[in-house]
Amino acid sequence: MTVDLTIRIAGENGEGVLTVGDVLAEALARSGLHIYTFKNLPAEIKGGASMVQVRVGDAEVRSPGDALDILMAWNQENYDIHVGEVKPGGVVLYDPGECTVGENGDLRQIPVPLEQITKDVIKVMKSKNVLAFGVLTACLGVPFESGSQMVVESRWGRRKEFLESNINALKQAYEYVSGEGIDLGIRLPIEKRNGKPQLILTGNDALCMGALAAGCRYYAGYPITPASDVMETLAKSMPKVGGVILQTEDEIAAITSVIGASFTGAKAMTATAGPGLSLMVEALGLATMEEIPVVVVDVQRGGPSTGLPTKTEQSDLDLALYGRHGDAPRIVIAPTHTEDCFYTSVQAFNLAEKYQTAVIVLSDQHLSQRAQGIIRPDLSALTVIDRKQPAPDDNRSAHDYNRYEMTEDFISPMSLPGKHALNYVATGLEHDEHAHIDYSPDAHVRMTHKRARKLEAVVREPDMVTRFGDENPEMGLIGWGSSQGPILEAMERVRKKGRRVSALIFKLLSPLPEEEARAFIASTPIVSVVELNASGQFANYLQSRLCVSLRRFNKYTGLPFKAGEIEQYIEGVLNHG
Amino acid sequence: MVEAATTSAAQPPVQRTIKDYRSEVKPTWCPGCGDFGVLSALQRAFAARNLAPKDIVVVSGIGCSGRLPEFVNAYGLHVVHGRALPTALGVKTANPELTVVAVGGDGDGFAIGGGHVPHAVRRNVDITYIVMDNQVYGLTKGQPSPTTPTGMAALKRSTSMPKMAPYEGVLEGQLNMLAMVLVYGATFVARTFSSQATEMADLIGQGLDHPGFSFVQAMSPCPTFYNTYDPWKEAFVALPEDWDITDRVAAISKTMTENVEGIFHSGVFYKTRLPTLMEKLEGVYAKAQGEKMATVDTLLDQFA
Repeated sequence: MTVDLTIRIAGENGEGVLTVGDVLAEALARSGLHIYTFKNLPAEIKGGASMVQVRVGDAEVRSPGDALDILMAWNQENYDIHVGEVKPGGVVLYDPGECTVGENGDLRQIPVPLEQITKDVIKVMKSKNVLAFGVLTACLGVPFESGSQMVVESRWGRRKEFLESNINALKQAYEYVSGEGIDLGIRLPIEKRNGKPQLILTGNDALCMGALAAGCRYYAGYPITPASDVMETLAKSMPKVGGVILQTEDEIAAITSVIGASFTGAKAMTATAGPGLSLMVEALGLATMEEIPVVVVDVQRGGPSTGLPTKTEQSDLDLALYGRHGDAPRIVIAPTHTEDCFYTSVQAFNLAEKYQTAVIVLSDQHLSQRAQGIIRPDLSALTVIDRKQPAPDDNRSAHDYNRYEMTEDFISPMSLPGKHALNYVATGLEHDEHAHIDYSPDAHVRMTHKRARKLEAVVREPDMVTRFGDENPEMGLIGWGSSQGPILEAMERVRKKGRRVSALIFKLLSPLPEEEARAFIASTPIVSVVELNASGQFANYLQSRLCVSLRRFNKYTGLPFKAGEIEQYIEGVLNHG
Repeated sequence: MVEAATTSAAQPPVQRTIKDYRSEVKPTWCPGCGDFGVLSALQRAFAARNLAPKDIVVVSGIGCSGRLPEFVNAYGLHVVHGRALPTALGVKTANPELTVVAVGGDGDGFAIGGGHVPHAVRRNVDITYIVMDNQVYGLTKGQPSPTTPTGMAALKRSTSMPKMAPYEGVLEGQLNMLAMVLVYGATFVARTFSSQATEMADLIGQGLDHPGFSFVQAMSPCPTFYNTYDPWKEAFVALPEDWDITDRVAAISKTMTENVEGIFHSGVFYKTRLPTLMEKLEGVYAKAQGEKMATVDTLLDQFA
């Protein structure tokens, strides 16, 4: 990678710093560069320190970036919070009207009077964002014409009434940077497009589009950070393809209405965060019991309780795995990066349909809200699975239809109201093959086996767990879900220094692909489970299932992993045990 | 959206009778349970409309009355406690061609599930909700419910209420569910009594025919834990013949004054025609889709 820059823009929440980061990231991604954004904001709508970070590279970037190359601070509070994270020799762009800065090591601190130029020269306060954007693109060596095209193509360009003032703001930015002789020596290669059609979207957007591509036509949800934008994206898109989208009175109504919709044959989904998933637990058991396919996305945030609504954590794993009464097996999967959110979403529906059960998708705040460029999915190449149903010419009477027929794979054809004259009553009570209530020991044993054994094949589905790095490593890292990026980046950095490291990343968490886990653990003298929670939920799970003792590396600050943190950890273990 | 209910052209038209809606499962209710009357009235209403069992979904929560779907020859969805209404919402909106009936008791609907009632009502989703009100928790053997009269326990006909309210009787106020759903804005509100089979079948049928959310309070005594047959037989009177079913305020007022007089009125308290949820969704589709439905591939363009 010849270009690898980490840029942070920080200001008062509500001032529009996030927009500057979003537009910058989208513009750079459109220019064929690889981007990885990271947002950290307070839970309030206005006020509080808020920041967006854009890491840009000319090859794949897998983590938010370690130290900052460029910090743009809009005020004193944000200067004070973030200046310590700037690299030695890095650049700080600060507003001299808003903050006073002293000598600070070898940092290159450059005053940019954003507020004053906006007030006195541009005279449209809304254009302060564009001024900041222009200062950044000018500093990154983006020619004015390209910068101006970026503004026109962006969300700013859609507001025609402000376009003139916005282009003026951009011009002022370039004039200021050249007038002050600011040259960071950076020339971003923005003309090098990689040829493949790209989409720029967030993890939540990707999940939505994956769901629609898989045939999801019913969504119900209740507002909750950081999952609300799933509902909002679908509110716009779902009716365009003829689906139903409803905001329900609570999460219990959301999941039970999803169960009702799926009972009729609709592919149905809800999305929530930890507090909402807690409320859905009872109904998830119902979906398992009645063998009704449902997809539940949990965009994890910091917990417990209301916790850290706008921060990230991988701490709902225990709830996803064990949140149930009775023996209620289900499928739990976790997407590993933005593009994977799309495919995992498709996969979640395929698994729910194929196995007629509840599937929980564990995303997280960081993955869900950062934007990344992905290669536009080829929908004609997607595999979409629909649930097993009675044959169209099945002319049995309802009396002879066994909804929970014991088949070889324990999955039974499901009749649908309105479609098949094979009506039955699905019940959360224990039942027999005919769906009749049956409390007998024999029926309970038989049906408990059916519900569990039909899921045994899930571990043999493709791409459920992936091994990276050396075959014969000195140290192995185990991770799951969105920690994949920083784990792999750290692994590669250490390998470049001549050490043998490998990683095993789980997408499927339940049922657990035990064989791959055992083989990996046997292949290396040191194994550590790297995850974003305090208690080591995945490590505990692996230990209890595999009867092994595992090292662990946990972070629970509410912030995502940096590759550098994991790199240091690996080297510490390798060098000092 | 999902495949619409189909009627097979090959089969000759059949006129179904009540027997066609009886399942092979014998009801498990206690002898004399009012729910038998409700079950039979519902089956008669289905028969009168000649609905195909495959096009009906009866949804229920938990409780004695929640077992009702099991005894009906139709699709049934017996879910968790208190959640029949949101489940029925999903069924109906995912396949609007289906006839969807939610059933349950006073505890299922107005204690644990009480938070769903106003929202089902304000959506005006086209389902019929029958609450079998026996003013007691039967399946758990006699605890007071939200509709148990305040102070109950002193009355002799309650054989087990003293378990939960052994000293002063029930402390909490008694919910007036008809007043509640009227205030929430229900577009069809009726009350009937399980001992008046013909009237009940007629009122349930009117509910099935009503486009929008129809609410039927079916007073259904529990002879085992709170036997109210005799007093209710005396208390039930039909609404006046000249009752104006379009007067919502009068309906609310009636539900509030009759209680003081110790009377239960039966009949349709209120009825109006407002756009249903599905009718409103049709408007959403028209606006969202314009000329024709989008493909998922074109939806991806918004991120290009």
